[in-house]
Amino acid sequence: MQLMIPHPGHFSALKEIIEAKEAEGMKEVVEVFMGGSPDVMGSGRGVLHAPLIEEISEQTEYAHQHGIKMNVVMNSPCTGGHHLTFEGYKMFKWYFGELNKAGVDAVTVAEPYLVELLREFPMKTVVSCLSYVDAPQRAKFFEDLGADMITVDTNINRHFDLLKGMVNAVKCDIRLIVNEGCLYKCPFRYPHYNLASHLSSLNQPRAPLFAPDFYFDKCINIRLRDPTQIIKSAWIRPEDLKEYEAIGIKGFKLSGRTKAVNWIIDCMRVYSNRAFKGNLLDLLDCPQMLRYMFYIESDKLEGGIERWKSCKKMCNECGYCSELTKEALTYVK
Amino acid sequence: MKEQVKEGRKKLEEELRVLLGNIFVPEAKMFGMACGCVGFTSDLRGLQSDDMQVFREKVTTILEEISESVGVKPEFIYARKLPGTEEVVSLTARELCERCKRELAGSKSSPRPDIVVLKKKKSGK
Repeated sequence: MQLMIPHPGHFSALKEIIEAKEAEGMKEVVEVFMGGSPDVMGSGRGVLHAPLIEEISEQTEYAHQHGIKMNVVMNSPCTGGHHLTFEGYKMFKWYFGELNKAGVDAVTVAEPYLVELLREFPMKTVVSCLSYVDAPQRAKFFEDLGADMITVDTNINRHFDLLKGMVNAVKCDIRLIVNEGCLYKCPFRYPHYNLASHLSSLNQPRAPLFAPDFYFDKCINIRLRDPTQIIKSAWIRPEDLKEYEAIGIKGFKLSGRTKAVNWIIDCMRVYSNRAFKGNLLDLLDCPQMLRYMFYIESDKLEGGIERWKSCKKMCNECGYCSELTKEALTYVK
Repeated sequence: MKEQVKEGRKKLEEELRVLLGNIFVPEAKMFGMACGCVGFTSDLRGLQSDDMQVFREKVTTILEEISESVGVKPEFIYARKLPGTEEVVSLTARELCERCKRELAGSKSSPRPDIVVLKKKKSGK
């Protein structure tokens, strides 16, 4: 198993994450990932830090001294076409060159054009989950474009047939995000990440938004009215990682680079130990606020994976997740 | 209480103006969070991180005084920067719940890159 750990971006956080990893002997932790400069590109997540190349270089050197790889995330799914202008092309090429000189090991991108552009550099190309790779054919397309690793669309985290097919279809590594709490087949997923891309970049909407959190608020409301949706989400319990290893997936990524350092370290420890007792919502990156409303007893989800491995995703005909919700979920008083 | 909050906003703005020039505090409020934290927070315009660092102790003292005046123990005082910039957009004094004592104030480093910790109550005190 290999774990990829979110890094909020400031150097002191990196030191603390690595200190915890080393103190507790978490050998599975092989990589940290952090956002790049919002001056160059936005991101799928909020950008809380704007590291200059010099800082990325220093942090990469530090990570390397401790045997950890550095991955810079530039996974905006929408640049507004900037990458296809001469100015955009030159900027991305220049920035990739600078990251390469800084010693960065890998760059995560969502835009297929940038996957192809990265072929010119020795850094590994990681395809973001925001490329929505959800089938063996799509994985093959991205591999042919130049992907070294593919982070699978979380929507298929429980579609074992597709995951197995993907592992067989490509030679590149397949990674799964384990603690994303997004709605399964969320209707807002594409527009939400497109909006986040713009709001986290210099390419802002032309006028102020009357509801910048529109998609987030809708998403929370849906789960408050129907908590079964939380159970249907794509999270993977630490105890269930072995089921994915059994079909050839070795790379697991934790989501959460906008979260507090100690929360990240807690999650790293839990997934490294492959065991967790408590409220599952404490492990989920987004939306974190639900943990104050609901308590999902992680132990009571034991065995769910067996059902989901062969699940046909015909929720209207099944009802298993609704039953599990009744067993495992209580309201926080 | 509403008088103290209004006074707190005014005091913060006036004292920051004396120290740093044109600072605007458009809004100040008390809050209670689902996790159990309570606090006093003020939105700010015109303040930069470097300037705040120069007057760090003074800014912290002002926040402590306002916080206590509205009944909040100022266990964790922090500035929040506009992500990716040095613009300080809010100052907050917070009385922490048990979870946030660990998650937010328990790390050696700042919990997030957009947060500048001005004061943190040492654990055990």
